[in-house]
Amino acid sequence: MDAEAIINDYVSAEDLKKYEQLYINQEKRGVINEKTHFDYALCLVRSKYTNDIRKGIAFLQDILQKTNDDQSRRDYLYFLAVGYTKLKEYENALQYIKMVQSLQPENHQALSMEKYIKKKLTHEGLMGMAIIGGAALAVGGLVGLGVALAKK
Amino acid sequence: MDDQDILTTLKILIIGESGVGKSSLLLRFTDDTFDPEQASTIGVDFKVKTITVEGNNKAKLAIWDTAGQERFRTLTPSYYRGAQGVILVYDVSSKQSFNKLDAWLNELETFATKHDLVKMLVGNKIDKERREVSKEEGLKFARKHRMLFIEASAKTKEGVQYAFEELVEKIIQTPGLWETDKQGLKLSENASDGSYSACGGYCVI
Ligand SMILES: Nc1nc2c(ncn2[C@@H]2O[C@H](COP(=O)(O)OP(=O)(O)OP(=O)(O)O)[C@@H](O)[C@H]2O)c(=O)[nH]1
Ligand SMILES: [Mg+2]
Repeated sequence: MDAEAIINDYVSAEDLKKYEQLYINQEKRGVINEKTHFDYALCLVRSKYTNDIRKGIAFLQDILQKTNDDQSRRDYLYFLAVGYTKLKEYENALQYIKMVQSLQPENHQALSMEKYIKKKLTHEGLMGMAIIGGAALAVGGLVGLGVALAKK
Repeated sequence: MDDQDILTTLKILIIGESGVGKSSLLLRFTDDTFDPEQASTIGVDFKVKTITVEGNNKAKLAIWDTAGQERFRTLTPSYYRGAQGVILVYDVSSKQSFNKLDAWLNELETFATKHDLVKMLVGNKIDKERREVSKEEGLKFARKHRMLFIEASAKTKEGVQYAFEELVEKIIQTPGLWETDKQGLKLSENASDGSYSACGGYCVI
């Protein structure tokens, strides 16, 4: 599936470091522009580490609040969906990809990502049911065993 | 599709100014669709397509379609790594998109890791009435930079199939640029960059 390649794509350590440094430099001067914020957030959200992804998500939410450009909004929402998908928080991811679709219903990248997220959600749902089902069987077995013991 | 039939997997990259029709060319090639209101790409898009190359062999193309928009310029160079083929697109109805080709080649030069990668120049949107770049200009640029060249239209399909197939054909004909999936990944990993190390550059394989 096409969206899977996007989700399994990671930032290089050099890039992450480079854009982090640019961000830190601006932070020191007390002026962080949206571009620097965005570049760093894109790296973070594509990191291997959960903490980085969370930080990237927070950054994206921050610049999302501040922008009034629809194109930027679309991009930030899309990468929020990517971030949450990477964290396997599919409910959140789905919400964000739906917001992209409300801006551009025909966007095929969003469509492909939505399909992927939904597939993951169903899969997790089924796994959950299997676990519950398994537990029920086990309980049933124990009860049966209890009955058998009591009869003895 | 049976994966055993796959001779090799190739990484293909599509670059060029925003709006020249990179995604439209890709979607025409992979899905045979065209959207007159194609949305500009967010970051990078990815598609896979398997095609038949010489004989009965199949090549799996992993195609990365990059966003041309300025706001993604910091993200896209990371996708140049390992690319074996690149499609550089301009719009024949936009001189401005043609004038930017040098800058794109520079970026490619800077970030691509395989320096014998095959380059294909595509002049897109030839269905349009108003032209700003002649076929001769395109051809001249391609010759100067040793690129393959085709004029195309994602809208009418003209030249689209050819652009991808020629590129792949040329990659397959370039020794050392690709490795067969069949020999096992461990072997090809070692052979990729330091291929001369084992025999000091003098052995005949
Ligand atoms: N007439 C005509 N229009 C085309 C052709 N190819 C693409 N277009 C239109 O040109 C516009 C831009 O096409 P895209 O494929 O999104 O361009 P892109 O290069 O991917 O742009 P970015 O993703 O922003 O880098 C869309 O409205 C397409 O429908 C073509 O061959 N002929
Ligand atoms: Mg595009």
